[in-house]
Amino acid sequence: MRSAGDTMVIGIKDISKLIGISIIACCAVLVCTMFLNFYFDVYQIKDILSSEHERIFYNAQVSTAKVVCIVSGGCLLITSVITLLFHIKHYIDIHKKELGILKALGYSNVKIARNFWIFGISIFVGAAIGFAGAFILMPSFYKLQNKDKILPEIYIHFHVDILLYLVLLPTAAFAALSIIYACFKLKKPVINLLKDNLQAKSKTEKKMSGRITDRSFIDDLKRNTLSSRKSLVFFIMFASFCFSAMTQMSASMRDLSSTMMAGMILIIGIILACTTLFLAITTVIKGNTKTIAMMRVFGYSQKECCRSLLGCYRPVSYIGFALGTVYQYALLRIMVDIVFREIDGVPPYKFDFPVMMISLVFFIVIYEIVMYCYSEKIKKISVKEIMAE
Amino acid sequence: MIEINEITKSYGNGDNKFQVLKGISTKICDGDFVVILGASGSGKSTFLNVMSGLERPDNGNIIYNGNDITKLSDNALTEFRRKTVAFIFQQYYLLPNMTVERNVRMGADLAGNSDYKDIIKAVGLENEMKKYPSELSGGQQQRVSVARALAKKPEVLFLDEPTGALDEQTGRQVLDYICKLQMEYKFTIVMVTHNINIAEMANTVIKMNSGKITQINTNEKQKTAYEIGW
Ligand SMILES: Nc1ncnc2c1ncn2[C@@H]1O[C@H](COP(=O)(O)OP(=O)(O)OP(=O)(O)O)[C@@H](O)[C@H]1O
Ligand SMILES: [Mg+2]
Repeated sequence: MRSAGDTMVIGIKDISKLIGISIIACCAVLVCTMFLNFYFDVYQIKDILSSEHERIFYNAQVSTAKVVCIVSGGCLLITSVITLLFHIKHYIDIHKKELGILKALGYSNVKIARNFWIFGISIFVGAAIGFAGAFILMPSFYKLQNKDKILPEIYIHFHVDILLYLVLLPTAAFAALSIIYACFKLKKPVINLLKDNLQAKSKTEKKMSGRITDRSFIDDLKRNTLSSRKSLVFFIMFASFCFSAMTQMSASMRDLSSTMMAGMILIIGIILACTTLFLAITTVIKGNTKTIAMMRVFGYSQKECCRSLLGCYRPVSYIGFALGTVYQYALLRIMVDIVFREIDGVPPYKFDFPVMMISLVFFIVIYEIVMYCYSEKIKKISVKEIMAE
Repeated sequence: MIEINEITKSYGNGDNKFQVLKGISTKICDGDFVVILGASGSGKSTFLNVMSGLERPDNGNIIYNGNDITKLSDNALTEFRRKTVAFIFQQYYLLPNMTVERNVRMGADLAGNSDYKDIIKAVGLENEMKKYPSELSGGQQQRVSVARALAKKPEVLFLDEPTGALDEQTGRQVLDYICKLQMEYKFTIVMVTHNINIAEMANTVIKMNSGKITQINTNEKQKTAYEIGW
């Protein structure tokens, strides 16, 4: 028997929009599984190490695995949590009316929120693919980590713990998180859900908009777009951060580690950056379709619409790029100075200015192409769109 | 002066093709108050959208003061809307996260109009300027959309059932504001409505049935919203 709250079914279509989370989870689990598995396997040969040289090399390998797991796993974990919460909030915003009606009919918050567990599936799909992918890549990864045969042969073992900690537990945790967050978000009076409009703005915002009155409409819309969706600022910054950090790190990795590592980091970086950017901008446009349509009705040009909605994110993305550059520099410094300190043959790490410039140029080109695509999309928003309720 | 010649418009294609407008011609003079009446589904909204440059007709011409807007490029059509027309819809379509003042400014900026505050006063909302649409009643929201439309100083104002979501009293009040402002700014009004009483306020009444104009009446004397007392 279906319980009462199930009348509102969150469809597969809604879940498919969470592909971004799946991709992030996939990257995180892929990297972490590979390094963790390696860490566990290499741990088993700890006792048969004989020479000092082996010991140092062993320590370096173990530290690398730890650093990579914590840094990339941690970063990606935080990102997936924020992405998930963002999607749930967005879902509730869009389906406010249906949810409000359910509440008005007498369904409790918990009953409605229970359905949100399904958002955890996105994590499961991504994590499972990442986990499987890690095992596919693992043979070459192991060979590579020990390519100079300093350590004795390391064999791949399957560790159930990793499956538990990186796939099953996160899925459960994210499902629970979805329910709790949805419950929290639904905890407002029914009328606020049913009414199409936003709740009254905070006092400070009111004061701010009252103080300067001769700002033009477009400027105001710009500020409004930025401040009304702060999470999007984060995502766009994160996208450029990822791109900047990962591409530059990948270039240094070729010298420090291996081409395969470099390629992996590059691919993960670009995928992450593009998915987040696409998702964020799509949300900007979807969330503002009505505004755009109304502006087009009144005769604002496509350029003005783009400028007011997308233009404000350009500085944000440059800040993200700068942060990414600093981050990757700091991270590599730490790796080289601390982790690889005792190993001979690791070149000293210097900031690579040309690589940064190349990365920046690619970044600008990609960003502008994406923006151009979206401005074409804005052009296609018919002025009649507003009447399609 | 708006001249409309043999407009046709259909939706869908193949077997699903459905002709909404089946050859419509009429003339609207500057300063006219035109009301379009007709049963639901007769194509009134479509006619209004085509006439105002929101949609393109399949065939026919729409000529504003000698300028055929069906021949304009997308950008030129946008420019035309910017300069010439304004809209008021049944659902007010205000921007929810902007104050009343900002919403009106959306129209005012297009015409470089700096005394938009006078129009907010003229629709009786000077005390609600800093409020958000969600804090206003339906009638007040519709008055904001009136102010927003008129702040851009249009030559022609298009209204699609502007009072459809309001009660009689409030609807009459909104119409009265519009009429008063028409006296002052001398724009042309083209309004779609279901309310036959409102037709008495107009000087031209166009009746439509299944995509065609069936009757055009002209009233000698325009009545005010309060005179018709609906
Ligand atoms: N985008 C569209 N695609 C397909 N058919 C449409 C579209 N818009 C309108 N129609 C059809 O065109 C016909 C006329 O629609 P229109 O909205 O102009 O009627 P109306 O006279 O304004 O009706 P109402 O008084 O109910 O608003 C309807 O039968 C409708 O189904
Ligand atoms: Mg209609």
